[in-house]
Amino acid sequence: MVNRKLVKVLTFRYTILALILIVLAGGLVLLPKYTKHEGINPEELLSNAISPERYISTDALADKIVNQDPSNILIDIREEIEFTKYSLPNAINIPLKNLLDEDSIPYLNQNQFNVVLFSNDNFYADQAWILCNRLGYKNIRVLKGGLNLWFTTIINPLKPDQNESAEEFTLYSTRKAASMFFGVKYPEQVKVDAPVIKKKAPKKVFTIEKKKKAPAEGGC
Amino acid sequence: MGPLIPNGVIPYEWSNIIAILIGIAFGFILEASGFSSSRKLAGVFYGYDFAVLKVFFTAALVALIGLLYMDYLGYLDMGSMYVHPTYLWGAIVGGAIMGVGFVAGGFCPGTSLCAVAIGKIDALVYVVGIMIGVFIFSELYVLFQPLYEGAFEGNITLMDSFGINRYWFVFIFTIIAIVIFKLSDMIRKRNKKIFY
Repeated sequence: MVNRKLVKVLTFRYTILALILIVLAGGLVLLPKYTKHEGINPEELLSNAISPERYISTDALADKIVNQDPSNILIDIREEIEFTKYSLPNAINIPLKNLLDEDSIPYLNQNQFNVVLFSNDNFYADQAWILCNRLGYKNIRVLKGGLNLWFTTIINPLKPDQNESAEEFTLYSTRKAASMFFGVKYPEQVKVDAPVIKKKAPKKVFTIEKKKKAPAEGGC
Repeated sequence: MGPLIPNGVIPYEWSNIIAILIGIAFGFILEASGFSSSRKLAGVFYGYDFAVLKVFFTAALVALIGLLYMDYLGYLDMGSMYVHPTYLWGAIVGGAIMGVGFVAGGFCPGTSLCAVAIGKIDALVYVVGIMIGVFIFSELYVLFQPLYEGAFEGNITLMDSFGINRYWFVFIFTIIAIVIFKLSDMIRKRNKKIFY
């Protein structure tokens, strides 16, 4: 038996479909609007933030600089005064307050280079990193420990104790070599050989025997 | 999350395979709706069958409303969707030529291929005509180039050029579509029934 009620409803099927469309379209108009945030979503930002890849160690960076790896841009985000006093070789100075300036965007928002941010510690560099990530910039990393760690590990590495492992010693010698690259002089490097004092050759004394004078002969 | 391929949910290499699958589904639906008959298609112009108008209008509406809901709920980023670039003169002249071809031949390019697949002879002739047209256009491209690339407007949408809220636009568009459906039904009822 055909369900009469259903048949009756189905005669209006196009009207019902039209009403559904209108209701859905009207729903779009009536829905409360919210502004979407630009850039990446919080979950992605979090996963970037906890990723160990966001840091570069001082040793890895020193290795890249020594090998003249062209794929890195070093960005010093400290103030200009500090930058002029000391910075890493070929670093660019973009103080944190100028991070979002138009001039600094080409350095940060690109895909070809690895950008390494650093400050004295990694605190300010981390803040810059968060801002850059939020804007969706790629390939941004932070120098772990900043310039302070750079000094204690690369420029002035601590000599390992005698009973430490062999790896410590190889690490120390690599760091020491790196520090020599960055212009640190070591005592053994500057040690001047003690001047060799030449012994004076003893004078040979030639004794010339004088000819015995012929005794005067009597003559005239 | 979406669009799926640009966001890497589906690897880029799959795009061609997915395109083929969607194409097959599209062709099947066209044939199943009777769009491989030139008489049905031409009915829009003579006022005895408005199926083409209704199907394409409904498809556009469903896609539009669905996309906006998905965008609202965060499943899809409308900003990264592909928007076809607008060349105004090319669109006007090309649209007029295609309209004439549609009335005269009773097919649009997609449905003609569909009809070839089920062995319609008029569709075969139509497709050969398309090929000749493509050949002439390619050979005389230098002549047509200023028209083809004229009045470039960029990748704009109706919302951009009218500057109205897209939700209101969709709502008004829906109302217009339903009014047109109703009108087309009235016109069809006035006309003599044609069996084909």
